[in-house]
Amino acid sequence: MLKGIYFAAGICRFRLFRMIAALLVGSLLSTSGFLIQVCTRNPLGDPYLLGISSGALFAVTLTFAFPPQSPLIFVFRPLAAFIGGFLAYTLTHAIAMKAGYTPTSIVLSGVAVGTTLYSLSLLPQYLILFDIHKVFAWSMGSLTGAGPIELLTCLAILVIAFLIVHNYLPILNALNVSDDFVRELGYDPLKLRRIMTGLAALTASISVAWFGIIGFIGLAAPHIARRLLGSGDVRYVLPTSLITGSVLLLLSDTAAKTLFLPLDMPVNIIVSAIGGPTLAIVLVRMRKYAGS
Amino acid sequence: MLVVKNLEVFYGNFKAISNVNLELRSGSLVAVIGPNGAGKSTLLKAIAGMLSYNGTITIEDVEVRELSPWERVKYVTYVPATIATTVDITIGDLLLSTEGVDLGLLENYVRMFDLGSLLNRKIWEVSTGELERALIVRGLSRFSKVYLFDELLSHIDLRYQIRVLKHLRTLVSAGRLVLVASNQLSPLLNFTDYVVAIKAGKLLAAGRTVEVICNELLKELYGVKAEIVKHRNIIDVVPIDEVKTELNLS
Repeated sequence: MLKGIYFAAGICRFRLFRMIAALLVGSLLSTSGFLIQVCTRNPLGDPYLLGISSGALFAVTLTFAFPPQSPLIFVFRPLAAFIGGFLAYTLTHAIAMKAGYTPTSIVLSGVAVGTTLYSLSLLPQYLILFDIHKVFAWSMGSLTGAGPIELLTCLAILVIAFLIVHNYLPILNALNVSDDFVRELGYDPLKLRRIMTGLAALTASISVAWFGIIGFIGLAAPHIARRLLGSGDVRYVLPTSLITGSVLLLLSDTAAKTLFLPLDMPVNIIVSAIGGPTLAIVLVRMRKYAGS
Repeated sequence: MLVVKNLEVFYGNFKAISNVNLELRSGSLVAVIGPNGAGKSTLLKAIAGMLSYNGTITIEDVEVRELSPWERVKYVTYVPATIATTVDITIGDLLLSTEGVDLGLLENYVRMFDLGSLLNRKIWEVSTGELERALIVRGLSRFSKVYLFDELLSHIDLRYQIRVLKHLRTLVSAGRLVLVASNQLSPLLNFTDYVVAIKAGKLLAAGRTVEVICNELLKELYGVKAEIVKHRNIIDVVPIDEVKTELNLS
């Protein structure tokens, strides 16, 4: 009897953790996507499309070389993810600058960096340098591994990011339109961009560090928020996209674990199945100015 | 009172403004004229504290670049004629994309420049003239001591050119200082009190419009033989000789 209660409590805890993880990761990814969209003035801004996620993935894959029992892993993994994500974004940015920094060139250079790093992160798995099952299960993008430490670190990063971004919200509205408008308010747009893309890398990397690559939430959540609001005012779009992002991921995760019972699918598969069409819709909608 | 002393602006090694000194009284409308690349925009951006410069620029004895964003919007407003339109925002979002917007003022200006029906349009869905009107409204909706209009009149039609210039006159009579950089000399010079002419980053002439504007100045600025027609207090710039020879009209 007692055993049964413990078992039930264990199930509840496990499910609860996973639900909270969906909400937190949804918020983290949509914050990241939103910040990138503002900084690059590109509606296709997303930590996955711009290579941040793949950079973090690659760096974290390397940490699997260390013994998994090591308690240092809780510091090591997020740190590796952040460094990997940030360097990947820097590379994307540098290539895009050389290519004229148009919306198209930003996304293409992100795809170039992302695919390279993604395949580099698959390489050690196939060479069976590390525990292939562990790496594979993690990198597929699933929320099953959610535990207290994962959730707390995610929450901490989310709060830090939100507090910093909150300070800059009115200036971000100017950054969303024109560098001159930022200068007029006495800020250096380049410095502001560096802070914001750093935060975008941070928020996306912590999610990659624990739950692997989950694409498209960062892209779709801000767009859905803008559609719901009928406005692009960042003061309202950011909080709304936290909600749309976390709800989107929660729904996807519920679908992932129930659609093909008893199979528990990686949530990324569901998210990509929804995110792909979303991307297509965005592309069609931005047709008018994509060419100009 | 806007005071510019020993102003120098560099873009890398290129000296865009060299040794400009100016004193402009509040309550005047000033035209900033000069050929393309002369440094008109650079001068305005320096005054707005948008780029780093040597020398001093003060408005009411306050150096603008040392102010916080919330204070500086009370001193100076910079209005461009156009912006890149690749961002997913509406005209309404654009109007609110800055600090210190007075909503009552904004509503009046939206009516004055007929933007009411455009508020929900994306910024890439309107014409360049409509976009310029929106940028003008965005700038005017803040209470500032100094307004700087960059390339004003570039895209808006004659009706709105007159409307904005007339309105700038009322702002000026209420004690504000307005600087307008433009290449549209013809309606502009009829409304301005002073002219600041720059070429290759240097101050060529500065003074009252009627005294400064002359055929020689235009020749010097633009390398074009144009005739200033002055009658009944109306100034018109007519490049008659050039038009005739180009088109063989005579």
